[in-house]
Amino acid sequence: MSGRPLLRLKIPAQAEALADMRQQLAAVLATLELADRERERIVLAVHEACSNIIRHAYRNCPAGSIQLDVSKLRGQLRIRLRDRAPPVDPSCIRPRDLGECRPGGLGINIIDDTMDRWRLRPLKHRAGNVLCMRRRLLKEKRK
Amino acid sequence: MTAKPIRNGCEQRVEAGWAVLDVFGEVDLSWSQDIRRRVLDALAAGPALAVVLERVSYIDSSGIAALVEGFQQARAKTQRFALVAPSDSVRAVLELARLDRVFPIYTDLAAALAD
Repeated sequence: MSGRPLLRLKIPAQAEALADMRQQLAAVLATLELADRERERIVLAVHEACSNIIRHAYRNCPAGSIQLDVSKLRGQLRIRLRDRAPPVDPSCIRPRDLGECRPGGLGINIIDDTMDRWRLRPLKHRAGNVLCMRRRLLKEKRK
Repeated sequence: MTAKPIRNGCEQRVEAGWAVLDVFGEVDLSWSQDIRRRVLDALAAGPALAVVLERVSYIDSSGIAALVEGFQQARAKTQRFALVAPSDSVRAVLELARLDRVFPIYTDLAAALAD
């Protein structure tokens, strides 16, 4: 991953591993010029992305893993999540209409609302998927 | 780096005819199903449920989904359902999901019980 590496972490694809991931990510983001609320939003978005990988890509199979890479390049925070789950069709991954009050499906909305850009890509020749997310780092509070 | 241990849990009581679930800690995928079960069980057992979220320092979409499911079930059965004193973290996620306009939210338990 290009840019200045801030965090490289491999976690088991298990819900119990997410609290530790959040703490480590929050500690790294605390070194950047981010408002508290902005930092919390980014941690939440990454958590939601990992949750989706655990639940939908690995289908709660605990043997999988998730590689998280966070870096900073040209005023942008770059976050990459790599799994080894069966390929996911990116066209199926879309934010839902928040006008509908129903349980579930909010994770993509949180990612979409928090990140400036994101892209999910199944790997062609190897098992797994890569989710790349980007967020501009500004000194002033945004969103 | 080792994670700081987080104490998660839920205390349950009955007050003025309402079931009260007082949730604390970080509500995430690792135990949100437990919250969901408690919410649905409380609604199966009584006419009104207040979920106190003052001590919840983090909530993810699976935790929010448990609350939405409870709210929908209560509405379908004309039961009372209230969220009480959501922490700033919880309120931020409710706003992000535009659910702050959907849930009945009260600043404290007395206000919910009196309404």
